[in-house]
Amino acid sequence: MNSISNLEAVDNIINSTGKVIKKEPISDFQVAYEVNKSDVHQILTSLKLEGWKQLSYLSAVDWPEENKFELVYILLNWDKPVYIQIRAKIDRENPSMNSIIPIFPGAKYYEREAHEFFGIAFPGNPDYKKQLIMEQWDDIPPLRKDFDPRAYSDRKYPSREYPDNFSKKDKENESLEKQAKRRKRARKLRTGGEE
Amino acid sequence: MKEMKLFLGPQHPGMHGNASVHLFVDGDIIKRSYLLPGMLHRGFEKQMERKLWVNNIALIPRVCVPEPDINEMAFALATEKLLKLDVPERAHWIRMIMLEFARISAHLMAYGGLGGPTGNYTLMYHAHIDRNLILDIFEKISGARIYHQYIVIGGVRKDLPEGIDEEINAYLNDLESRLNEYRDLGIDNPSVVKRIKDTIMLPEAVVWELGVTGIGMRSATNKPYDIRKVMPYARYNQVEFEVPISDYSDARSRLDIKIKEVQQSINIIRQCLDKMPEGEVRVKPSRGQSMRWTVPKGYVYAPVESSRGEFGYYMVSNGGTTPWRVGVRGASYPQGLLGIEKYLPGTRIDDAALWVDTMGICSPEIDR
Repeated sequence: MNSISNLEAVDNIINSTGKVIKKEPISDFQVAYEVNKSDVHQILTSLKLEGWKQLSYLSAVDWPEENKFELVYILLNWDKPVYIQIRAKIDRENPSMNSIIPIFPGAKYYEREAHEFFGIAFPGNPDYKKQLIMEQWDDIPPLRKDFDPRAYSDRKYPSREYPDNFSKKDKENESLEKQAKRRKRARKLRTGGEE
Repeated sequence: MKEMKLFLGPQHPGMHGNASVHLFVDGDIIKRSYLLPGMLHRGFEKQMERKLWVNNIALIPRVCVPEPDINEMAFALATEKLLKLDVPERAHWIRMIMLEFARISAHLMAYGGLGGPTGNYTLMYHAHIDRNLILDIFEKISGARIYHQYIVIGGVRKDLPEGIDEEINAYLNDLESRLNEYRDLGIDNPSVVKRIKDTIMLPEAVVWELGVTGIGMRSATNKPYDIRKVMPYARYNQVEFEVPISDYSDARSRLDIKIKEVQQSINIIRQCLDKMPEGEVRVKPSRGQSMRWTVPKGYVYAPVESSRGEFGYYMVSNGGTTPWRVGVRGASYPQGLLGIEKYLPGTRIDDAALWVDTMGICSPEIDR
């Protein structure tokens, strides 16, 4: 079966189960659909029944200007090779999305990761609140756009104060004579002995 | 007997990389287990959002240490798709040579890793010698041994050096002649067979439940589910190769497939050297700025077939000079986290290291 008819088949499945806000063809093997948050579970279920049995990726994208998070689910059918991106926007304040573990059990750790990095709640996932990667994290979730790693690091690890006698810099080394000597030696090393 | 907690890793001959498996054992049977990642978390996804598209090339190979080239390829494919950039013909073939060498070296490392948990260190030394010779070839091509930063957006960094063909061919002949030796040392060695035959099963239902890809999936489903075949990228549609499969997935059959894949990669590299045209190897992604160029808005997911399965980058651009979001789909995510939690319990302690080794788990790509 060629990929064009596969893309049409995907179109039929998704249009018959939910409302598509925006369709975005990406390549012969990939297509993206933006759907409503409430339709996601329905669409994923019907795609799984039609053969899109593998959840390849689940994550989120932060859009602070719209005040939204965008969840993305990427599915793959190995027999009709088409990747489908299902994207849904959810509110940025108290973000929450029902877990898809009943449909794709493999989503468990992806959802835990999304909770850790974006702070999205996944009711239905038994462990989503447990910390996974970042031990004892004490700030806002780090992949949000308003998290500034530089500011965090400056606050958490204040710059060290050195005593006056920490480094004894030789004043002589700054003399022009010594600088010329160093340059000469560098040239000698670079050119292999020639002056 | 009282339940006891044991740690497998982060420092253990059977554990590859800095992750730890926590085992709760009763006698020598594992009752509960989970993986504790986080010892290698470097915040790549956040860092990539703060660096220019070009600068990220220096960062991405670090995502998976034993097999860095797949990262470069997935990143380059995704960015080129967003830019709608066509890569010169010769660059595709050079990329395939690099990727297949990377696959051989990762397979050799994983196959040699069998030596740790089974106490058969000769195998490991042999595999590492052969891998080291691949690193020599990498060094001649790209100037670096591990992190090549060779596959870049728009092609490859520079053309192949003079006379590398003979060197590659000599190496491939040498390796091919010794593949049977590897079988004798590893999967056909009676002392090892007792440990790996009919144990550490991966049934087809588990594959679909977890989302395992790569060798695990092909050995359980008996179907050639390989992204190089199913959705060819680069010029994999113009070379002839087979995808080794099996209908019985124990540790031995998965290792057997690894050796067969090495043979297939050798065949692919030979065809690449034959069919490779002359010409340019790199196009510039922009006509103006050399580094501070922008990428059009868009979302794209670019998968490649790594030695452990489907490895992909999910990239979002908002039209800026830096990526808006980069998500890494590590090939070992499903089996490494959920697989260890659900399916490692029930096996014996001494099988845990073999389980981790033969399922194909790379801890840096779980952590990122």
